[in-house]
Amino acid sequence: MTLAELQARFQAGILTGEGADMLGLVEPSPHGAGKNELFGVYQNAYRLRLAEFVAEDHPGLAGYLGEDEFAALIEDFIASDPPRHRNARYYTTRLPQFMQESEAWREEGRALSLAQFERALVDAFDAADAPALEIGALAAFAPERWASLTFAFHASAQLLELAAGTLDTYVAATDDDCDELPEASEGVEHAAIWRTGDEPAWRELDADEWVALNEAMAGQAFGDICQLAAFQQGDNASAERLAQFLANWFSEGLVVGVAEKDAG
Amino acid sequence: MNMPAPLGYGLGLRPVYYDEILETRPPVDWFEIISENYMVPGGRPLAMLDRIRADWPIVMHGVAMSLASTDPLDMNYLRDLAALIDRVQPAWVSDHIAWTGVHGATLHDLLPIPFTREALDHVVERIQRVQDFLKRRLVIENASTYVAFTGSEMTEWEFVRELVQRADCLLLLDVNNIFVSGFNHGYDPMTFLDAVPAERVVQFHMAGHTDNGTHRIDTHDQPVCDEVWALYEAARRRCPQASAMIERDDNFPPFSELLAELARMRAIDARVKGREAA
Repeated sequence: MTLAELQARFQAGILTGEGADMLGLVEPSPHGAGKNELFGVYQNAYRLRLAEFVAEDHPGLAGYLGEDEFAALIEDFIASDPPRHRNARYYTTRLPQFMQESEAWREEGRALSLAQFERALVDAFDAADAPALEIGALAAFAPERWASLTFAFHASAQLLELAAGTLDTYVAATDDDCDELPEASEGVEHAAIWRTGDEPAWRELDADEWVALNEAMAGQAFGDICQLAAFQQGDNASAERLAQFLANWFSEGLVVGVAEKDAG
Repeated sequence: MNMPAPLGYGLGLRPVYYDEILETRPPVDWFEIISENYMVPGGRPLAMLDRIRADWPIVMHGVAMSLASTDPLDMNYLRDLAALIDRVQPAWVSDHIAWTGVHGATLHDLLPIPFTREALDHVVERIQRVQDFLKRRLVIENASTYVAFTGSEMTEWEFVRELVQRADCLLLLDVNNIFVSGFNHGYDPMTFLDAVPAERVVQFHMAGHTDNGTHRIDTHDQPVCDEVWALYEAARRRCPQASAMIERDDNFPPFSELLAELARMRAIDARVKGREAA
């Protein structure tokens, strides 16, 4: 048997949990351990290790689903496809997509939203570094040019549309002192996730800030964002409120660059 | 042979200890990182590494190079590793005589190989290619294994000895792995120690394992046991210059317990040195 054939068979035995094919290829234990038991060390370690990765990254999802359902999700996820990335850190990246594509999980709106939210927190944790800009950076531009300013955001910044109640559920599910999870509710809510200092941060966004921040992160100039808000909200869109949003994005460390749109 | 300068007594750098290390400046000569944990774009892991690197030598230890896999070498992985090497400027870079997957999969485990001529040629060739790519000698570690293959054509120590000589690489001798594999496969760990080329050993790993009666598992979640300490003393007699460290990856104790294990290591070395001087 070639090395390639042996490795293919060994890996299949781990992935399927069936070891029979391997047993004829391994030596007996000098201390009486069964060949099944010894090959099982690799089979068990594989599942335990991957389950640990999921549990570490998704404490909120674990708390929301409860022990049995979370274990079932992990089992389904592990069985769906082996890890492909050399870095274990990225194993759980595919979990939200797996849930979206899975018949068993795609209807679990709040669970799926929790998975997406916790995914964003994990990604924010080690996203690329960039120093946050102070709002004083705007002073470099003449006030009449502010409408043409665009902003660059920290690589960790993500916006998510989540099932209503996801954020409260996350808070409750990760609080050891909280026994009760929020009731299910209809609709959606929005959140920004980013990193401030060393730690991921998040907050819920009102609908108008969600639109404004989406546009800003897409590279729209501040004047265009103001116009869009006026179009969508009529008199309710105040320039002061949009200016306050912008001030918050600076103070929260979301903004890492500012430039004039026409400056190229 | 051109060997890296000895570093003394080190510990595995783990996130749970970052703050204590930076606040207390413990008497540790160097730290070993798990390379993959820092192959990320940014954030706290790299920030902590940069701060600790400013004051301590660092060794990079990988778990995912998959040197024995029959899949092609993962050049994206090697490029990322090279970038981290450039940032960290480690004293040396190590990985295992093992594979982690085939057909594009990565099982996040160090899987065993049969000790055959084919496997030997394959791993030697891959180590040479990696060394050419990274423009540095690799340090290769013996892994713990739980199965041995009927198709093996030589012993593990014969395999390791020929591997490091032909690939012209260096050796990280994991003393606990020798003990665990020796128990699981019924060989005398001293035979392994006697056979490997001591002049190529740059580093020792020491760690705890789990005794399941009929087999032992390399878990790194408890203190080093007395039998492995005894084997360490024998290893030290053969390799007086090797840098040594404790690996702890789970069930993390107070940092002081790891320092106490390093103190035990120092005491053993002092005893060995004293005997040799006498």
